[in-house]
Amino acid sequence: MPARKRRATAVRAVHYGVLVLLAAVVLFPIYITVVNSLLTPEAIGHRPPSLFPTHPHGSGYVSAFRSGHLAIYLRNSILVAVAITVGQLVTSVLAGYAFALLRFPFRNALFVVFLATLMVPYEATIITNTHTVTNFGWINKYPALIVPFLATGLGTFLLRQAFLGVPRELHDAARLDGYGHWRFLTRVAVPLARPAVAALAVFSFLGAWNQYLWPLLVTNTDRVRTVQIGLRQLEGTSIQQINVTFAGTVIAAFPIFLLLVLFQKQLVRGLTAGAVKG
Amino acid sequence: MPATVSRIRPRTRRIAVAAIPFLLLAACSSGGSKVGSGTTSPGGATSPTTATASLAGQCPNGAVAQSSQQPIQITLWHSMTQANLKTLVTLTDQFNASHPDIHVNLVNQTSYIDTLTKYKATLGGGARPDLVQIQDVDQQLMIDTKSVLPVQACFEAKHLDTSDFVPRAISYYTVRGVDYSIPFAMSNPVLYYNKAAFQKAGLDPNKPPKTLDELRQDAQQIVSSGADKYGIALKNDPWHLEEWSAMAGALYANNGNGRDKRATAVEFGGATGQQIYSWISGMARDKLAESTTSNGFDNLFAVANKVAAMTIDTSAALGTIFDVLGSGQYKDIQLGVAPLPGPVAGGPTIQAGSSLFVISGTSPAREEAAFTFAEWLSEGPQQAVWSAGTGYVPVRTSATTQPVLQQAWTARPQLRIAYDQILSGANTQAAQGPVIGDMEGVRTAVENAETSLFQGADPTSTMQKLVSSANSVISDYESRVS
Repeated sequence: MPARKRRATAVRAVHYGVLVLLAAVVLFPIYITVVNSLLTPEAIGHRPPSLFPTHPHGSGYVSAFRSGHLAIYLRNSILVAVAITVGQLVTSVLAGYAFALLRFPFRNALFVVFLATLMVPYEATIITNTHTVTNFGWINKYPALIVPFLATGLGTFLLRQAFLGVPRELHDAARLDGYGHWRFLTRVAVPLARPAVAALAVFSFLGAWNQYLWPLLVTNTDRVRTVQIGLRQLEGTSIQQINVTFAGTVIAAFPIFLLLVLFQKQLVRGLTAGAVKG
Repeated sequence: MPATVSRIRPRTRRIAVAAIPFLLLAACSSGGSKVGSGTTSPGGATSPTTATASLAGQCPNGAVAQSSQQPIQITLWHSMTQANLKTLVTLTDQFNASHPDIHVNLVNQTSYIDTLTKYKATLGGGARPDLVQIQDVDQQLMIDTKSVLPVQACFEAKHLDTSDFVPRAISYYTVRGVDYSIPFAMSNPVLYYNKAAFQKAGLDPNKPPKTLDELRQDAQQIVSSGADKYGIALKNDPWHLEEWSAMAGALYANNGNGRDKRATAVEFGGATGQQIYSWISGMARDKLAESTTSNGFDNLFAVANKVAAMTIDTSAALGTIFDVLGSGQYKDIQLGVAPLPGPVAGGPTIQAGSSLFVISGTSPAREEAAFTFAEWLSEGPQQAVWSAGTGYVPVRTSATTQPVLQQAWTARPQLRIAYDQILSGANTQAAQGPVIGDMEGVRTAVENAETSLFQGADPTSTMQKLVSSANSVISDYESRVS
């Protein structure tokens, strides 16, 4: 029916209109950051502000790397974020599998303890953690940035839920075929739980990448400091440097942006992966 | 001159003040034995002290010379970036070269607020620095950590003359009779105005306003003549209430601005405060003032883009402003700099900036080395280099006799204005400025109040609300430390 079809089209147009508007609101800060990173400092302060980089200017990016030493900070951030991500994946996969498919005494009690760690705010432990790390002599060393984050209650929970969704029959069939736990885990369970694993990987990386306070607390030298601290040092010191700050922000956000684009599908699937199962 | 807007007073994000009592406890329990070695801050957190007794005994005088391990390695946590950092590095290198028994390492902790957060985290047992650069308003908080060596002890033990210090500078950091830290990077708010806009409005460009009333009249003329859209761009800034109260001779907090005894309540709600708030509210209502964000340079850009003819900002912004103006982008702006107008003309202003705290409980040699470096940085010749390189106001009067600073001031006489301002007027408790434990919390409340003034709130009820929220911030903190 054409009338009905037309109405459906109109409704859809309104939907898209609203969505485009919302997307514009969300994207504008990112857009303006990119624009400002390409402007001269004077142009950034101009009123009315420029919404397009009419004379793109790359000097902000050059200064961010040269005087801002962003290369070192980026290297440190990548190293730390990758190490944390890998570590969290390994521990969460193993712990999640154990809680989902193994039977052992106090399993449920232990799982509750794992979950309880989610209830303790980060701020509450930060001082004791600083103390511990200092006593280990890890100040200014990579382990201080990595080790405290190698295990995660959230990741364990997420993967336990995903592994619970693995059909019992598969488990039994694999047992008949002579698969031990290790082979079942690597060949069946993890591939089936891929969305959850990928989502965890992205979240871990994101969390590690965006850390600020902890790296600041346990480092005193640029040699091991991460990109968020580098950004902070670029920030707000001078009008003449304001485009450098924007350029630095774009550079620091780029790896995250790339990650989101590459893993978008898994991420969205992962968000709902545990929602209706278990 | 490498000029940078030094983050003299970065916006006071509300830090986890709630964590302080825990930190204090941690400091007392874990650091207690160390701090007990004759270096505890006198007076402590609760008992008011008028420091009649000499503190000299607390200074580990001669410890560096007696130390078998030399040079003594010490660390300064600072918050200086860009041009300021360059000047600091130059001075530090000079110190290290001229003092073979001490070696100073600089660590940049990015901002005052992060430095403080990080320092507080170390109270639980982290690796502490030997010297920390702390924002002025956080001094009571630092004293309350009971982890600092009052520098007065070493001034006394070493018989060092402190009369060369700019009185307003040293007295700001003297709390209940004890000087706890060494003034280092000082600034002062001044008035920036566009002479071209004044001319266009038919005002004398060489007669900037001296009082708030004059400022309002000038703003009125600027707006009605169409010279600029607004008379003044006002940052949302707790400075207004603090500085203008001081200029009018009114106390900001009770107990002598917290200098006789600990401050337990604010006093700014009196006639002066009312007058200030009516003024701001009137300026906002009549569209004579534009409110700009507390962070960043929007107010300066408002002047540069001929949106407003005046603004109030730190004197330390001058260098940057000159550089931006020098870029040729704003040809028709003629920058004027003038002393801060106030409720009364020429009233004394409170110093702003940061000081160096010597951390106690490290080792006697490190404590003494830290004091030596901090004191050296505050001496005239070094302050002259520091001031010429950064735009900060020198904390010593003898700095002004140094050629390097004289040359800088001859080239740019505007740089002198903040210095002259900080010397003028009587050095009363009102002018010395408030000492409040949770000053950050009070400032947040003041900022919120100023926001509502610009949203059209009634000044009297806004002030009432502000006083009660500021008082509850103070009593919260005081109940936790006492």
